[in-house]
Amino acid sequence: MTSHIYKNKKLIIFFLAPAFLFILVFLYYPFIKNIFNSFQEISGLGSASKGWADPWYSNYTMLLKDTNMWVAFRNTLIMLVVTVFGQVGIALLLALLTDRITYGAKFFRIVYFFPIVISATALGLLFNLIFLYDKGMINQIREIFGAAALVDFKSKGIALFTMMAPVMWQYVGFYFIILVTGLNNISSDLYEAAAIDGATSYQQVKFISLPLLRNVTCTCIVLAVTGALKVFDLPWTMFPKGLPNGETWLTGTYMYYQVFNVNDVDYSSAIGVVIVILGVLLSKLVNTIFKEKEF
Amino acid sequence: MKKLFALMLVFTMVISMAACTKKEESAGSGEETKTEAKKVTLNTTTTYAGNDGNAQNFQDAVAAWESESGNKVNDSSSTSDETFKARVLADFETGSEPDVLFFFNGVDSNPLVEAGKVVSIEEIRKEFPDYASNMKDGMMGASPVDGKNYSVPVNGYWEGMFVNKEVCEAAGVEIPGPDTTWDEFLETCQKIKDAGYAPIAASLATVPHYWFEFSIYNYLTPATHNVLPGSVSDEHGTAWVNGLNDIKDLYERGFFPENTLTGTDDETVQMFIDNKAAFLIDGSWKVGGIEELTSNIDNFTVTYVPGNNDRKTTDIIGGLSSGYYITKKAWDDPDKRAAAVDFVSYMTTDELVSKFAEVSATALKNGSQVDESKLTSLAKDGLKLVQGATGMAGAVQDQIPAESRVPIFDGMPNLVTGKSDIKESVQEVLDSLSK
Repeated sequence: MTSHIYKNKKLIIFFLAPAFLFILVFLYYPFIKNIFNSFQEISGLGSASKGWADPWYSNYTMLLKDTNMWVAFRNTLIMLVVTVFGQVGIALLLALLTDRITYGAKFFRIVYFFPIVISATALGLLFNLIFLYDKGMINQIREIFGAAALVDFKSKGIALFTMMAPVMWQYVGFYFIILVTGLNNISSDLYEAAAIDGATSYQQVKFISLPLLRNVTCTCIVLAVTGALKVFDLPWTMFPKGLPNGETWLTGTYMYYQVFNVNDVDYSSAIGVVIVILGVLLSKLVNTIFKEKEF
Repeated sequence: MKKLFALMLVFTMVISMAACTKKEESAGSGEETKTEAKKVTLNTTTTYAGNDGNAQNFQDAVAAWESESGNKVNDSSSTSDETFKARVLADFETGSEPDVLFFFNGVDSNPLVEAGKVVSIEEIRKEFPDYASNMKDGMMGASPVDGKNYSVPVNGYWEGMFVNKEVCEAAGVEIPGPDTTWDEFLETCQKIKDAGYAPIAASLATVPHYWFEFSIYNYLTPATHNVLPGSVSDEHGTAWVNGLNDIKDLYERGFFPENTLTGTDDETVQMFIDNKAAFLIDGSWKVGGIEELTSNIDNFTVTYVPGNNDRKTTDIIGGLSSGYYITKKAWDDPDKRAAAVDFVSYMTTDELVSKFAEVSATALKNGSQVDESKLTSLAKDGLKLVQGATGMAGAVQDQIPAESRVPIFDGMPNLVTGKSDIKESVQEVLDSLSK
């Protein structure tokens, strides 16, 4: 009976078709339509196209000249680096540390994983209160320690840090759990054998944990890079419209701004296309650099 | 198996018989009320939602109308912002517009009028002569497209300068009055700043439009404020450039809060409430907002924004910028036509308009019936402000589509810090308008 099911390919197609149709209608069709829209002139969300842009590639030339777009690119690349080193790096460190303790490991796993269950918008509001200029948590603590002047954590110079710190903090738990699972899969026999041979804890991490965790770490890095390109909700909640002075634009927030504030649907479509191209290229690059190894 | 099948048949038969009986019953009652209008469900959308002070009033009024008329309302109201506007316009584009909507009557409504998707009051009155007869036709907010009235307004607005009395007292300055000039205002602000307070609570990053309106108004008059510039160098274009330069001057003097380029409107308003800032320009809706935020309403008053040049200090910004529209879709539906008219008429009775408007302007022929004994001192000051006004102009931003405002509204932090050139930004707005 079982073998009959696997031989009959029609049945498999029957079960695959709904998901395929769904993804076709709600992902590939909008994406192709989006490419088409990026060469059109559309003055508002829901408005019909006025025809081809003049010249048809004008949105892409505008994109190259748009200083805000370059700021968005720069910030997105910074976000990417922060994500890889901050999120995956810290997660790896925490995973290695919790893996070495006997008591309280479960407690720490829950504590570090917790931020991931809170919605990004709620986290944005939470960090808004923490970094608030007047009566914000950090400024209040500073006042207790005698600081006279308030610090505007959203001002030029430190705005990027204020935006990226919560984003980094939010996803540490996600990669932490993946890495902890990876560590759990490493046989304890290896550690015991190494300990008998006189290896220190540092040597065990360096020569057993890290090499055997390589593939999991690679997966985390690929996820982090693609995730960094899509980040939107938390930065938009904390820094709407790229404030201050357009210093905090990300490709995602700038695309959203162009649709909903500027009503420039065709231009935002062009930004969307570039984001996808950038995502595919970077994923390919990261996959090549961090190629998984067969053990 | 057979038993189960028989059971299913019996069940189906019982259900169909019940349905038939119900149908017959309703047919019977229909004969008795043949002359009554068919009960319908109206699809509505308004801006009475979220933090709007009238959100609850609207819900109560809808519930009362449903109970009186026997009709139902399927409401999709949401907070008034650019997303709401985009959603409404998209609904019209895709043919899924509501039957009745409470929407802006400025340029935002142009696509609806141009496409013939809303019905003019003139046309409605051919069949329902009393429609909006309690309103002054000249104040209803004619469409910029053809000058006809399409919407029935409810509550209007005025803009004024709210004052924190305690801050003024602590800084040893007089509260600006109807005769205060712009130069005197600047001196007052300097004294407040020297006393360690922020003179003006405003978030130039998120809500710069109140200061934009009054700053350019200072170079125009109530009669000329609503005329859009033809070029950056004509009278109106120059007024815009000068007005924006005045905001830059206020910023450079340090009269705005430290976080004016990064904080939100909520943050700067809170500073005003917390006795850390002296002045706040806002609309009549802020009376209710301040009442909610403070436990000492008597600490606040509202006065005129000091004038300059030909604009008298007592010339204010105000008007009726939204109203109830009946869509062509509902009008062409014989079942919904009368219900839509009845709904709008109900929502715009003298009693309900007075309830919604409180201290703001209305288009009622009989005026708003407000019981002053129930008003707070701040609300009374608001009424006095309107009564003492020597001139009123609508907000010029209502004539500028959202996307065209971007260079000077979203770009305000760049303008005041000198990152963008003011003249070039005004030119960008005009270029966008001419597209």
